Amino acid sequence: MDGRIIVITSGKGGVGKTTATASIGAALALEGRRVAVVDMDIGLRNLDVVMGLENRIVFNVVDAVKGKCKLKQASIKDRRIENLYLIPASQSDNKNVLSPEEMVSFGEILRKEFDFVLMDCPAGIERGFENSVASADEAVVICAPEVSSVRDADRVIGLLYAKSITPKLVINRIIPEMVERGDMLNHIDVVDVLSIELIGLVPMDDQVIIATNTGNPLVLQKKSKAGEAFRRIALRLNGMTDLPIEVPQAEGHFWRKIGTKLGLGK
Amino acid sequence: MFNDFLRKMMGSSPKSDSKDVAKKRLKFALIYDKLEVSDDTLRCLHRDIVEVISRYFEIDQEAFKMDIRRSDELSALIVNTPILSAKRHISPTGQR
Repeated sequence: MDGRIIVITSGKGGVGKTTATASIGAALALEGRRVAVVDMDIGLRNLDVVMGLENRIVFNVVDAVKGKCKLKQASIKDRRIENLYLIPASQSDNKNVLSPEEMVSFGEILRKEFDFVLMDCPAGIERGFENSVASADEAVVICAPEVSSVRDADRVIGLLYAKSITPKLVINRIIPEMVERGDMLNHIDVVDVLSIELIGLVPMDDQVIIATNTGNPLVLQKKSKAGEAFRRIALRLNGMTDLPIEVPQAEGHFWRKIGTKLGLGK
Repeated sequence: MFNDFLRKMMGSSPKSDSKDVAKKRLKFALIYDKLEVSDDTLRCLHRDIVEVISRYFEIDQEAFKMDIRRSDELSALIVNTPILSAKRHISPTGQR
Protein backbone atom coordinates (compact mmCIF):
# COMPACT_ATOMS: atom_id res chain seq x y z
CA MET A 1 0.00 0.00 0.00
CA ASP A 2 1.16 3.52 -0.70
CA GLY A 3 2.46 5.61 2.20
CA ARG A 4 0.89 8.82 3.52
CA ILE A 5 2.52 12.19 2.98
CA ILE A 6 1.86 14.67 5.79
CA VAL A 7 3.05 18.28 5.69
CA ILE A 8 3.90 19.92 9.02
CA THR A 9 3.33 23.64 8.66
CA SER A 10 2.51 26.80 10.63
CA GLY A 11 2.95 29.95 8.57
CA LYS A 12 4.85 31.68 11.36
CA GLY A 13 8.42 30.69 12.17
CA GLY A 14 9.66 29.55 15.56
CA VAL A 15 6.54 27.75 16.76
CA GLY A 16 8.11 24.29 16.68
CA LYS A 17 7.59 22.76 13.23
CA THR A 18 11.02 21.18 13.12
CA THR A 19 10.83 19.80 16.67
CA ALA A 20 7.36 18.45 15.90
CA THR A 21 8.51 16.83 12.64
CA ALA A 22 11.52 15.17 14.29
CA SER A 23 9.50 13.98 17.31
CA ILE A 24 6.39 12.74 15.51
CA GLY A 25 8.61 11.05 12.90
CA ALA A 26 10.67 9.32 15.58
CA ALA A 27 7.56 8.22 17.47
CA LEU A 28 5.96 6.77 14.32
CA ALA A 29 9.19 4.85 13.60
CA LEU A 30 9.14 3.50 17.18
CA GLU A 31 5.68 2.14 16.36
CA GLY A 32 7.34 0.09 13.65
CA ARG A 33 6.40 2.22 10.63
CA ARG A 34 8.91 3.11 7.93
CA VAL A 35 9.26 6.88 8.20
CA ALA A 36 11.01 9.58 6.14
CA VAL A 37 11.26 13.12 7.47
CA VAL A 38 12.04 15.61 4.71
CA ASP A 39 13.58 19.02 5.43
CA MET A 40 11.96 21.36 2.90
CA ASP A 41 13.63 24.49 4.28
CA ILE A 42 16.06 24.71 1.36
CA GLY A 43 18.90 27.11 2.20
CA LEU A 44 18.17 27.11 5.95
CA ARG A 45 18.35 23.46 6.92
CA ASN A 46 17.89 22.56 10.58
CA LEU A 47 16.10 19.24 10.86
CA ASP A 48 19.51 17.54 10.55
CA VAL A 49 20.96 19.21 13.68
CA VAL A 50 17.76 18.71 15.66
CA MET A 51 18.02 15.00 14.88
CA GLY A 52 21.77 14.85 15.45
CA LEU A 53 22.49 13.67 11.91
CA GLU A 54 24.28 16.79 10.59
CA ASN A 55 27.68 15.18 10.04
CA ARG A 56 26.35 12.35 7.91
CA ILE A 57 24.93 14.39 5.03
CA VAL A 58 26.26 13.55 1.57
CA PHE A 59 23.28 14.06 -0.72
CA ASN A 60 20.15 16.13 -0.10
CA VAL A 61 16.54 16.48 -1.20
CA VAL A 62 17.44 18.70 -4.18
CA ASP A 63 19.87 16.03 -5.45
CA ALA A 64 17.20 13.37 -5.04
CA VAL A 65 14.45 15.40 -6.75
CA LYS A 66 16.73 16.36 -9.66
CA GLY A 67 17.83 12.74 -10.06
CA LYS A 68 21.47 13.49 -9.22
CA CYS A 69 21.38 10.63 -6.73
CA LYS A 70 19.11 7.75 -5.79
CA LEU A 71 16.51 8.20 -3.04
CA LYS A 72 18.47 5.68 -0.93
CA GLN A 73 21.62 7.80 -1.13
CA ALA A 74 19.82 10.93 0.09
CA SER A 75 18.06 9.10 2.95
CA ILE A 76 20.15 9.13 6.14
CA LYS A 77 19.32 6.22 8.42
CA ASP A 78 18.97 7.08 12.10
CA ARG A 79 21.19 4.74 14.13
CA ARG A 80 19.19 4.98 17.37
CA ILE A 81 15.72 4.48 15.94
CA GLU A 82 15.01 1.68 13.49
CA ASN A 83 13.02 2.62 10.35
CA LEU A 84 13.63 6.37 10.67
CA TYR A 85 15.22 8.23 7.75
CA LEU A 86 16.10 11.89 7.22
CA ILE A 87 16.19 13.49 3.80
CA PRO A 88 18.06 16.74 4.49
CA ALA A 89 17.64 20.10 2.76
CA SER A 90 20.32 21.54 0.56
CA GLN A 91 22.13 24.44 2.20
CA SER A 92 23.51 26.11 -0.94
CA ASP A 93 20.35 26.49 -3.03
CA ASN A 94 17.21 28.54 -2.53
CA LYS A 95 13.54 27.54 -2.54
CA ASN A 96 13.11 28.28 -6.25
CA VAL A 97 15.34 25.41 -7.42
CA LEU A 98 12.38 23.10 -6.81
CA SER A 99 8.89 23.34 -8.29
CA PRO A 100 5.58 21.96 -6.99
CA GLU A 101 5.35 19.74 -10.11
CA GLU A 102 8.72 18.16 -9.36
CA MET A 103 7.64 17.60 -5.76
CA VAL A 104 4.47 15.80 -6.87
CA SER A 105 6.53 13.27 -8.84
CA PHE A 106 9.07 12.98 -6.01
CA GLY A 107 6.16 12.28 -3.66
CA GLU A 108 5.15 9.30 -5.78
CA ILE A 109 8.62 7.80 -5.33
CA LEU A 110 8.57 8.46 -1.56
CA ARG A 111 5.13 6.88 -1.19
CA LYS A 112 6.45 3.59 -2.56
CA GLU A 113 9.34 3.45 -0.07
CA PHE A 114 7.80 4.67 3.19
CA ASP A 115 4.65 4.25 5.29
CA PHE A 116 4.84 7.87 6.46
CA VAL A 117 6.55 10.86 4.89
CA LEU A 118 6.64 14.04 7.02
CA MET A 119 7.42 17.26 5.15
CA ASP A 120 8.98 19.88 7.41
CA CYS A 121 7.64 23.04 5.76
CA PRO A 122 9.59 26.31 5.98
CA ALA A 123 7.99 29.41 7.52
CA GLY A 124 6.10 31.63 5.12
CA ILE A 125 3.51 30.99 2.41
CA GLU A 126 5.71 31.37 -0.66
CA ARG A 127 7.47 28.84 -2.88
CA GLY A 128 8.83 26.75 0.02
CA PHE A 129 5.27 26.27 1.30
CA GLU A 130 3.97 25.45 -2.18
CA ASN A 131 6.71 22.84 -2.64
CA SER A 132 6.08 21.24 0.76
CA VAL A 133 2.34 21.01 0.26
CA ALA A 134 2.37 19.91 -3.40
CA SER A 135 2.52 16.17 -2.78
CA ALA A 136 0.85 16.09 0.65
CA ASP A 137 -2.31 14.10 1.41
CA GLU A 138 -2.69 15.51 4.90
CA ALA A 139 -1.50 18.48 6.94
CA VAL A 140 -0.71 19.18 10.57
CA VAL A 141 -0.75 22.86 11.51
CA ILE A 142 1.45 23.74 14.49
CA CYS A 143 0.33 26.79 16.42
CA ALA A 144 1.49 28.47 19.63
CA PRO A 145 -1.18 29.98 21.90
CA GLU A 146 -0.40 33.59 21.03
CA VAL A 147 -2.03 36.15 18.75
CA SER A 148 0.53 36.27 15.92
CA SER A 149 0.86 32.51 15.65
CA VAL A 150 -2.89 31.88 15.63
CA ARG A 151 -3.41 34.55 12.99
CA ASP A 152 -0.78 33.01 10.70
CA ALA A 153 -2.20 29.53 11.35
CA ASP A 154 -5.59 30.78 10.20
CA ARG A 155 -4.06 32.05 6.95
CA VAL A 156 -2.27 28.74 6.32
CA ILE A 157 -5.44 26.76 7.10
CA GLY A 158 -7.24 28.80 4.43
CA LEU A 159 -4.50 28.05 1.88
CA LEU A 160 -4.62 24.32 2.73
CA TYR A 161 -8.41 24.20 2.29
CA ALA A 162 -7.93 25.82 -1.12
CA LYS A 163 -5.76 22.80 -1.97
CA SER A 164 -8.49 20.41 -0.73
CA ILE A 165 -6.50 19.42 2.36
CA THR A 166 -8.33 19.39 5.70
CA PRO A 167 -5.60 20.19 8.26
CA LYS A 168 -5.38 19.02 11.86
CA LEU A 169 -4.19 21.22 14.71
CA VAL A 170 -1.40 20.86 17.25
CA ILE A 171 -1.10 23.56 19.90
CA ASN A 172 2.53 23.75 20.99
CA ARG A 173 4.40 25.61 23.74
CA ILE A 174 1.51 25.76 26.17
CA ILE A 175 2.51 27.19 29.56
CA PRO A 176 -0.13 25.71 31.92
CA GLU A 177 0.61 28.21 34.74
CA MET A 178 -0.14 31.12 32.38
CA VAL A 179 -3.27 29.43 31.04
CA GLU A 180 -4.47 28.93 34.62
CA ARG A 181 -3.86 32.59 35.40
CA GLY A 182 -5.81 33.64 32.33
CA ASP A 183 -2.72 35.12 30.66
CA MET A 184 -2.49 32.64 27.83
CA LEU A 185 -5.11 31.54 25.31
CA ASN A 186 -6.31 28.08 26.32
CA HIS A 187 -6.84 25.32 23.79
CA ILE A 188 -10.59 25.88 23.74
CA ASP A 189 -10.04 29.52 22.71
CA VAL A 190 -7.62 28.54 19.93
CA VAL A 191 -9.85 25.77 18.56
CA ASP A 192 -12.81 28.17 18.75
CA VAL A 193 -10.97 30.74 16.60
CA LEU A 194 -9.46 28.30 14.09
CA SER A 195 -12.31 25.74 14.07
CA ILE A 196 -10.34 22.71 12.89
CA GLU A 197 -9.84 19.28 14.45
CA LEU A 198 -7.37 19.17 17.34
CA ILE A 199 -4.91 16.26 17.50
CA GLY A 200 -2.59 17.29 20.28
CA LEU A 201 -1.61 19.71 23.06
CA VAL A 202 2.10 20.09 23.78
CA PRO A 203 3.42 21.89 26.87
CA MET A 204 6.46 24.16 26.92
CA ASP A 205 9.33 21.92 28.03
CA ASP A 206 13.00 22.56 28.89
CA GLN A 207 13.74 19.09 27.56
CA VAL A 208 13.16 20.36 24.02
CA ILE A 209 16.19 22.64 24.21
CA ILE A 210 18.22 19.97 26.01
CA ALA A 211 17.36 17.39 23.33
CA THR A 212 18.25 19.88 20.59
CA ASN A 213 21.55 20.74 22.34
CA THR A 214 22.62 17.12 22.19
CA GLY A 215 20.83 16.04 19.01
CA ASN A 216 19.00 13.27 20.84
CA PRO A 217 15.40 12.34 19.97
CA LEU A 218 12.98 14.08 22.35
CA VAL A 219 10.67 11.07 22.36
CA LEU A 220 13.43 8.90 23.87
CA GLN A 221 13.80 11.34 26.79
CA LYS A 222 11.87 9.62 29.58
CA LYS A 223 10.94 12.72 31.59
CA SER A 224 9.91 14.90 28.68
CA LYS A 225 6.29 16.04 28.79
CA ALA A 226 6.54 17.48 25.28
CA GLY A 227 8.07 14.22 24.04
CA GLU A 228 5.16 12.29 25.55
CA ALA A 229 2.66 14.67 23.93
CA PHE A 230 4.30 14.24 20.50
CA ARG A 231 4.27 10.47 21.00
CA ARG A 232 0.51 10.58 21.57
CA ILE A 233 0.06 12.71 18.44
CA ALA A 234 1.98 10.08 16.46
CA LEU A 235 -0.24 7.31 17.86
CA ARG A 236 -3.30 9.28 16.82
CA LEU A 237 -1.92 9.78 13.29
CA ASN A 238 -1.17 6.06 13.21
CA GLY A 239 -4.84 5.22 13.63
CA MET A 240 -5.42 5.29 17.38
CA THR A 241 -8.04 7.98 16.92
CA ASP A 242 -9.81 7.36 20.24
CA LEU A 243 -6.70 8.16 22.31
CA PRO A 244 -7.81 11.06 24.54
CA ILE A 245 -6.07 14.44 24.22
CA GLU A 246 -4.38 15.31 27.51
CA VAL A 247 -4.51 18.92 28.64
CA PRO A 248 -1.12 20.03 30.06
CA GLN A 249 -1.36 20.68 33.81
CA ALA A 250 0.63 23.11 35.91
CA GLU A 251 3.34 21.79 38.24
CA GLY A 252 2.30 21.83 41.90
CA HIS A 253 -1.25 21.47 40.78
CA PHE A 254 -1.92 19.33 43.84
CA TRP A 255 -1.16 22.13 46.32
CA ARG A 256 -3.17 24.63 44.37
CA LYS A 257 -6.14 22.27 44.39
CA ILE A 258 -5.89 21.99 48.17
CA GLY A 259 -5.62 25.77 48.34
CA THR A 260 -8.82 26.10 46.32
CA LYS A 261 -10.52 23.61 48.62
CA LEU A 262 -9.51 25.70 51.64
CA GLY A 263 -11.22 28.70 50.11
CA LEU A 264 -8.08 30.45 48.91
CA GLY A 265 -8.91 30.06 45.25
CA LYS A 266 -9.29 32.81 42.71
CA MET B 1 -2.81 39.28 55.85
CA PHE B 2 -2.56 35.61 56.76
CA ASN B 3 -4.79 34.78 53.79
CA ASP B 4 -2.46 36.64 51.43
CA PHE B 5 0.50 34.80 52.84
CA LEU B 6 -1.26 31.46 52.41
CA ARG B 7 -2.32 32.33 48.89
CA LYS B 8 1.29 33.05 48.00
CA MET B 9 2.30 29.77 49.55
CA MET B 10 -0.28 27.91 47.51
CA GLY B 11 0.90 29.70 44.39
CA SER B 12 -2.45 31.03 43.27
CA SER B 13 -2.75 34.59 42.14
CA PRO B 14 -5.66 36.78 41.13
CA LYS B 15 -6.91 36.20 37.58
CA SER B 16 -5.75 38.79 35.11
CA ASP B 17 -7.42 37.47 31.92
CA SER B 18 -5.21 39.16 29.34
CA LYS B 19 -6.07 36.17 27.16
CA ASP B 20 -9.60 37.48 26.75
CA VAL B 21 -8.15 40.64 25.24
CA ALA B 22 -5.97 38.46 23.00
CA LYS B 23 -8.97 36.47 21.80
CA LYS B 24 -11.04 39.54 21.05
CA ARG B 25 -8.20 41.17 19.11
CA LEU B 26 -7.54 37.95 17.22
CA LYS B 27 -11.14 37.62 16.11
CA PHE B 28 -11.15 41.19 14.79
CA ALA B 29 -7.79 40.77 13.07
CA LEU B 30 -9.02 37.63 11.28
CA ILE B 31 -12.20 39.35 10.13
CA TYR B 32 -10.21 42.30 8.76
CA ASP B 33 -7.67 39.97 7.11
CA LYS B 34 -10.47 38.25 5.23
CA LEU B 35 -11.91 41.54 4.02
CA GLU B 36 -8.66 42.77 2.54
CA VAL B 37 -8.77 43.04 -1.24
CA SER B 38 -5.79 43.44 -3.52
CA ASP B 39 -5.45 46.41 -5.88
CA ASP B 40 -5.72 44.01 -8.82
CA THR B 41 -9.06 42.69 -7.61
CA LEU B 42 -10.32 46.26 -7.16
CA ARG B 43 -9.20 47.22 -10.67
CA CYS B 44 -11.01 44.22 -12.18
CA LEU B 45 -14.14 44.91 -10.14
CA HIS B 46 -14.05 48.58 -11.24
CA ARG B 47 -13.82 47.57 -14.90
CA ASP B 48 -16.63 44.99 -14.63
CA ILE B 49 -19.03 47.29 -12.79
CA VAL B 50 -18.50 50.08 -15.32
CA GLU B 51 -19.16 47.59 -18.11
CA VAL B 52 -22.40 46.29 -16.58
CA ILE B 53 -23.78 49.76 -15.76
CA SER B 54 -22.84 50.98 -19.23
CA ARG B 55 -25.19 48.39 -20.74
CA TYR B 56 -28.11 50.28 -19.22
CA PHE B 57 -26.92 53.83 -18.74
CA GLU B 58 -24.66 56.35 -20.33
CA ILE B 59 -22.35 57.20 -17.43
CA ASP B 60 -19.54 59.65 -16.83
CA GLN B 61 -16.67 57.20 -16.47
CA GLU B 62 -14.27 59.89 -15.23
CA ALA B 63 -16.51 60.72 -12.28
CA PHE B 64 -17.20 57.05 -11.44
CA LYS B 65 -16.16 56.36 -7.84
CA MET B 66 -15.82 53.04 -6.03
CA ASP B 67 -14.81 52.58 -2.42
CA ILE B 68 -14.81 50.02 0.37
CA ARG B 69 -15.84 51.60 3.64
CA ARG B 70 -15.26 49.72 6.89
CA SER B 71 -16.86 50.10 10.25
CA ASP B 72 -16.66 47.87 13.31
CA GLU B 73 -19.80 46.04 12.35
CA LEU B 74 -19.51 45.57 8.59
CA SER B 75 -17.81 46.55 5.38
CA ALA B 76 -19.68 48.21 2.53
CA LEU B 77 -18.86 48.52 -1.12
CA ILE B 78 -19.91 52.01 -2.18
CA VAL B 79 -20.29 52.81 -5.85
CA ASN B 80 -21.17 56.30 -6.95
CA THR B 81 -21.63 57.32 -10.56
CA PRO B 82 -23.34 60.22 -12.36
CA ILE B 83 -25.83 59.00 -14.97
CA LEU B 84 -25.87 60.99 -18.20
CA SER B 85 -28.79 59.19 -19.80
CA ALA B 86 -30.69 55.92 -19.81
CA LYS B 87 -30.25 53.60 -22.76
CA ARG B 88 -33.32 52.56 -24.73
CA HIS B 89 -33.99 49.25 -26.52
CA ILE B 90 -32.59 46.84 -23.98
CA SER B 91 -33.44 43.20 -24.63
CA PRO B 92 -34.87 41.22 -21.65
CA THR B 93 -31.58 39.35 -21.10
CA GLY B 94 -29.76 42.61 -20.72
CA GLN B 95 -27.90 42.17 -24.01
CA ARG B 96 -27.70 45.17 -26.28
